Amino acid sequence: MEKLEMDVFSAAMETCIEYPVDFILISGDLFDSSVPHNLKVVQNAAAKMREVVEHGIPIYCIYGSHEYSATSTSIIEVLESAGLLQKIVQPVMIDNKLKLIPFVDQRTGAKLVGISARKMGLERESYAILDRESLELLEGFKVFAFHSGLDEFKPDYLTQMSTLPLSLLPKGFDYYAGGHIHQKSMHQELGYERIVFPGPLFTGHGRDIEKTASKEPRGFFIVSFDNQVRSTEFVQIEMGDYAFCKLDVTGLNAVQAQLKLEDELLHLDVAGKIVVVRIFGELSGGKISETDLPNLRKILKANGAIHVDISQTGLSSKEYANVKVSGLEASEIEERLFREHIGLIKVSRPQLKNDVGIALSVALLRSLKREKKDTENQDDYDKGIAEDAFETLSLKEVFED
Amino acid sequence: MSHTEELDIVGQVISGKIGQIFVREKAGAEIELGNLLVAQSEDGSSLILQVHGLSYGSQIPPPVRELAAGRQLEGQAGSLSYYDPNIRNYTIAEMRAVAKISESVVSIPKTLPGFFSLVRHVNEEDFNFLNDPQNTVYLGKVRSGSKTLNVDVKLNGQELFTHHVLISATTGRGKSNLVKILLWSIVDDDDLGVLVLDPHDEYFGGRDEKLQGLSQHPSASRKVRYYSVNPTVGSSTLMINLKSVMPWHLESIFSLTQAQHEGMYEYYFKHLNDKQWIKAIVKGESLGSVQPITLNSLQRKFRTILGLDKDENGELICYNRAFSDASGEATVSEIIKNLEEGKIVIIDTSRLSDAAELLIGSLVIRDIVFKYQKYRAESGLKGKPRFEDKPVISIVLEEAPRVLASDTLEQYGDNAYSTVAREGRKFKIGLLAVTQLTSVIPPTILANLNTKIIFGNEMASERRAVINSAAQDLTEDYVTIGSLDRGEAIVSSIFTKFAIPIKVPLFDNFLKEFSSNRNLNSSEDKHAIRDADPKIIP
Repeated sequence: MEKLEMDVFSAAMETCIEYPVDFILISGDLFDSSVPHNLKVVQNAAAKMREVVEHGIPIYCIYGSHEYSATSTSIIEVLESAGLLQKIVQPVMIDNKLKLIPFVDQRTGAKLVGISARKMGLERESYAILDRESLELLEGFKVFAFHSGLDEFKPDYLTQMSTLPLSLLPKGFDYYAGGHIHQKSMHQELGYERIVFPGPLFTGHGRDIEKTASKEPRGFFIVSFDNQVRSTEFVQIEMGDYAFCKLDVTGLNAVQAQLKLEDELLHLDVAGKIVVVRIFGELSGGKISETDLPNLRKILKANGAIHVDISQTGLSSKEYANVKVSGLEASEIEERLFREHIGLIKVSRPQLKNDVGIALSVALLRSLKREKKDTENQDDYDKGIAEDAFETLSLKEVFED
Repeated sequence: MSHTEELDIVGQVISGKIGQIFVREKAGAEIELGNLLVAQSEDGSSLILQVHGLSYGSQIPPPVRELAAGRQLEGQAGSLSYYDPNIRNYTIAEMRAVAKISESVVSIPKTLPGFFSLVRHVNEEDFNFLNDPQNTVYLGKVRSGSKTLNVDVKLNGQELFTHHVLISATTGRGKSNLVKILLWSIVDDDDLGVLVLDPHDEYFGGRDEKLQGLSQHPSASRKVRYYSVNPTVGSSTLMINLKSVMPWHLESIFSLTQAQHEGMYEYYFKHLNDKQWIKAIVKGESLGSVQPITLNSLQRKFRTILGLDKDENGELICYNRAFSDASGEATVSEIIKNLEEGKIVIIDTSRLSDAAELLIGSLVIRDIVFKYQKYRAESGLKGKPRFEDKPVISIVLEEAPRVLASDTLEQYGDNAYSTVAREGRKFKIGLLAVTQLTSVIPPTILANLNTKIIFGNEMASERRAVINSAAQDLTEDYVTIGSLDRGEAIVSSIFTKFAIPIKVPLFDNFLKEFSSNRNLNSSEDKHAIRDADPKIIP
């Protein structure tokens, strides 16, 4: 899948070179962490970006929620130092207001402004003090880049996600380049001519891969403009063949369910494909853990599947009723579990309650489960985890020497 | 009796019976209608008496008085005057005992004050029984006649809201002002969530400096949500996806013929999967089972009542911008999530028709009632939240007769609002109904609204309606209610031992007092500024 992901990224960059575009704007989450675990991925991406830059196409970006780190240097900064990327966020505080100095693309004169994501949706605080007026008075063609969901446009299944109200964004921009939301959409509201979420280029798991397997288009937008936007063209990047199936095992016990699943998957045409399987329903008996997922994967791989994504989060057992969590993404499951349990604990501090408490819990979990990098020794790893955790809990000053 | 108390003496009990005690007024005391007075007993307890009538008393027979008045008026009095005028001519105050206080415990009085008891004005110490730290919902200050005491009247929010509230008054008496103050006092309470349907856009404030509102509360960014089709910066756009609307939401909002009702459901079932049944109707999708004339009628209703139409390209548009086929999928869920987190959610419906406003309220209420029913049923099961820990939800509804009037309920049957009024209490969901016309609300619903805050009302029928359903006997207040000035009210509740007269401060003054009492350099304010530090803006 890593190869496929790289192929998709390369295809997108090559399309930009061939077009050719005047610049590329990435609204965050080029990488899935501030320092990716697999540096080979970074190396390959950097090589492709070098090719783009050498064709005279600058690549602009803001931080996404996965990339930002308050405690350590992010990969984005490394790539910026190497001249492969340019962050467009140029903040200045004047009279307790956040003023954003526009970044001007030399070739087109387009003014680029943006606000990066921070952990736990804290970028909301930047918006709260944003000097909107100066941005709204900016003349010329202007683009606002942001990496947040918006209340008004989020799908129902993302209700629990912390998002921003549209009114926090400055009005009057020609194009609003959105990130963070893994679904393509375009919107227009009074004062906001064009709000675009391109969705992910590539998806590897959870609800995202399910939607890709269900033929949800993946790609990016090419925007043509002079003093205003003339066209927005979605460039679809198709890579890989998918096979998607949903299997209902309601009424069967664990053994019967396993037999049914094996039989169904055995007869599925999966050669050379990415296979997405969703198992759901209520078992009449036995435990969910009795489902032998490794064996199901083995069957599919033996039949030629190049990648297998199986989820049984929609599966429950009558006999072993538990906290039901039917989200598909690991992060979604984590958030729902926290949401279910946070109400069971009485706390007095507002930082530990409701949405804020849940976001803090999710962020802390993310800090604590960071994998050790190959280049890290145990001491550095332990220290890094601790620093991240203290930063998340706003206890950095307390524990500093 | 101390010297100070001697100076406070305003009269003496001279006769009467339970419910009708006569007190002779001390010369110059100027007892007022509605005054609260105290008769102290020898055992240390005190009776609080409330004045509900004033009349003249005199030792001089009426014919003699009339003759003296005539002489004076016609200029023939000369140096004629009364001997001891203050002894011979006086005022009689008629009052009833409303509370007995003994060692700070208040109870309903069952005895008369001692014969010839002296009575004095109430003071702040007499109301120590109102100091309960669990009471956080602020309503105003105790009022004695036209005077205001420095005694706060607060009630317990959990009890108050689950047992429903009625605020009744004619226009301009201060209903909205009270609601604003009440909401302000509970912003920081995480155990109370309030949905406010705001048809005059007067509760949030923030659009101009003159209109103050909840947006100025220090905790507003965290605890108050505002939805409007024209939002202020930081507020959410009121945008509801049509997929959230089901036919049963509309049944109590639209008047439909049988054919229209069936036609609506035909479209609903046809579009069960994509939920685009309203869009299909508005765009004129033809169904064999629905007559064109029925479709046209439905289209007309959606156009006039909800502002839905199609443009020249055949695409759906919404004139009031509150409904959309493309956006707002999560709006209703988001509102409910905020309520469950104990926030105040204000929906600006000033730019919407009545029907659109009531529909939006209905969407939220039905879903939250369903959720709370589920919580109650599952409470105690492993892994499920305890129902007791869920916040109480209150729905603030102005012009309540739109959905609670007898003829409306007869015509359309029960709706989400009347269901809450009748059954919401067991699910911790309450109604706060604001109205000028109490008389049109059925007695069965009025009886469930266990706290009534009564402002001035000149209409006899309205006074009778509210008195007849009050928690205390307010028969004697029939005249008083007619003479209540702006901001003056009576709180009659099952949670108060007697009907407390209050004065509600003007919101602007209330805000000034709040600001002067609050330390504006609190850590919460500093935290907000610290996070604005550009060093931590990536």
